[in-house]
Amino acid sequence: MNDLPKQKETNLSFEKIKKDILHPMQNHKGLELWIVFLITVISVCGWAYYIQLKDGLGVTGMRDYVSWGLYIANFVFFVAVSLVGMLISSILGLLRIDWITPISRIAEIIAVAFVAVAGLVIVLDMGRPDRVLNVMIHGRFQSPILWDVTVITTYLTVSALLLILPMIPDLAICKKELTKASPIMKKLYNILSLGYINTPEQHKHLHKMIRTLMVLIVPIGLAIHTVTSWLFAATLRNGWDTTIFGPYFVAGAFVAGSAALIIAMYFFRVNYKLQDYITDLQFDKMGKLLVAVCLVYLYFNLNEFLVPGYKMKTGDDIHLKELFYGNWAIMFWASQLLGNIIPIILLVNKKFRKPLPIMIISLFVLAGAWFKRYVIVIPTMLHPHLPIQNVPENFVHYYPSAIEISVTVLSFALVLLIITVLSKIFPVVPIVETAESKGIEVKIDA
Amino acid sequence: MKNTIKNIAALFLIFIFSGSLANAQGWTVPNSAKKKQNPYEATSKNVSTGKKIYNLHCKSCHGDPTMANMLPLAPVAPTDLGAQNFLVQSDGEIYYKVNKGQGAMPTFEKTISDEDKWMVIAFLRSFDKNKKVKQQVAEVKNPEVTDVKLELNVNEADKTLLAKLSGITKKGKRVGLQGIEMSFLVKRSFGYLDVSGEDPYTNEKGDVAVQFPADLPGDREGQVNMIVKVTDDAFYGKLEEARVVTLGVPTDPVNPLDERAMWGTRANAPIWIIVTFVGGVLAIWSVIFLVLFQMIKLPKLAKSKD
Repeated sequence: MNDLPKQKETNLSFEKIKKDILHPMQNHKGLELWIVFLITVISVCGWAYYIQLKDGLGVTGMRDYVSWGLYIANFVFFVAVSLVGMLISSILGLLRIDWITPISRIAEIIAVAFVAVAGLVIVLDMGRPDRVLNVMIHGRFQSPILWDVTVITTYLTVSALLLILPMIPDLAICKKELTKASPIMKKLYNILSLGYINTPEQHKHLHKMIRTLMVLIVPIGLAIHTVTSWLFAATLRNGWDTTIFGPYFVAGAFVAGSAALIIAMYFFRVNYKLQDYITDLQFDKMGKLLVAVCLVYLYFNLNEFLVPGYKMKTGDDIHLKELFYGNWAIMFWASQLLGNIIPIILLVNKKFRKPLPIMIISLFVLAGAWFKRYVIVIPTMLHPHLPIQNVPENFVHYYPSAIEISVTVLSFALVLLIITVLSKIFPVVPIVETAESKGIEVKIDA
Repeated sequence: MKNTIKNIAALFLIFIFSGSLANAQGWTVPNSAKKKQNPYEATSKNVSTGKKIYNLHCKSCHGDPTMANMLPLAPVAPTDLGAQNFLVQSDGEIYYKVNKGQGAMPTFEKTISDEDKWMVIAFLRSFDKNKKVKQQVAEVKNPEVTDVKLELNVNEADKTLLAKLSGITKKGKRVGLQGIEMSFLVKRSFGYLDVSGEDPYTNEKGDVAVQFPADLPGDREGQVNMIVKVTDDAFYGKLEEARVVTLGVPTDPVNPLDERAMWGTRANAPIWIIVTFVGGVLAIWSVIFLVLFQMIKLPKLAKSKD
């Protein structure tokens, strides 16, 4: 089942931890190749975006009725995944759950990358991105769009701070240890480490700041996805007009985020050879967490579909029949079964919570989460309250165009690039925190 | 031109429905449907409403009732709906046939409301010679006239409108035209409101008086736009008189955009939502700036140790 070397109880020293975590950052041949590949993908897909910019949104599959298409579905997905930062490093961190120590930084990196690109996806969806500031200048307080822009910016800022602040002691180590780093990087480490030498005062002061931000990010994290759901729920459209959309989105976000984190954990563990740090225990616990959040999401799904499905109000009936056994049935049931129900059944077994199987299951969960967003956004747009009549044929359906798909691929490549670059310049596993949690004495030279 | 279109339409309909027309004669109506009675009384208002609907939806094929000027379709021409052999049917039978249609006769189940269908039946029933209580559309022979004029007098004190329809006979004498239906229409936001009342037919002098509703809102001065016209253009061509009258209740218009509301402009956002947004942003960002400010202290703490 598991092709990785078996876990041993090793007595790690501080020097070994430093070496294990810092070594792959500078000595990983494949990493440069991967970055080149991502940049190539971004350049090619950037050409598609240039065409969209030049010719307008008419090159997409979006028309009068479906004015929110692939981009918005993808945006909701990115916002959802980014919520893992708040779940892992903040909620579980505040609860002082110790197994998250080695994976909390990966969670923050995912959060920063996904929320940054989520904001960008909205700009990519604009016909006139040069007018993006008008959202701020002329935004109405009553519109969820202004709230969404505000809360995403805030979440990005706090997530970035929660990535950097706990990393300050590690950066102080990087400054000393990474002798081969480029002068720019050395300067960056020097600035960001803020002269940290781990004095008790500094330690106390730093952790006070981190705890403040951890508390602060809980309401922001809840707000970011609740407000995103309000973009839909504040309208009177069938399928969106529901009171539980806020918590429904938050629950779905925890599912998507946990799955993304498990996948990232696996790749860092294998590629950076971090088996001693990201151990089977972390995968086992994350598996249990994923089951828990999946169950909550399943419960919300039951409410979301069973209650209107029982009443079948006019309008809702068309929407729900399309989802249950109409044109959207395959996507709908695939996302529900492969992305939620079957993973729950499998992950209840301990052997499926081993690194490789849980990573594969998480891929399905993540893909399911993506298609779930697609099923939330597009079918509702295709069923307005007034009948669609006397319109061109391509108004009645929605198929993403090649341009749209390329731009969406661009956004994914950009997320992966940000994650890769961040994990190349910053240690992905907290060095000092790991040492402290194992009771190893930490020494940072001035 | 009109005949050409009619002929083309006829040929088209023949082509489409020739198969089903073969058994058009045997049109059986279920017994339950036959028993249905017209729920609307045959008042002159209802009959005249029915006539308007008839002219709109039925006349193009069936022609005028009793005139046998229907569209000459083959093999089965549309029935003269004013003919006695048609009107022997019960209300329910006619209603059923209008709803279901057969052959070239289309279904009107969805296209005309039930109320309108019954109005048409009330109109057709007015040609029924066997009907005991006859409420005929006033059919009064007026002399042949030229220079037909519609005059409108408005009495603002008791809110009445008096229309007078007259024409010049061959002898050169101006006489009132009797039994002509008039429409009194008030312009509202979306279309016209008919305030003609139950009996808007001209009397023997050519006069018709209508009481303007006491509670109809007008603009700030109580003004409303009115159109008075001869309902059926078929008599004397299009005859109408437009007038601004001060008969409405003076009303200050309320612009929903003027109040603070969720649908308002940003300047008219509800106070609570501005306070929540601005307060929330200020609270969160002041904490963020507080933390950023605290970061500056970190290097100093290292030095104080030394």
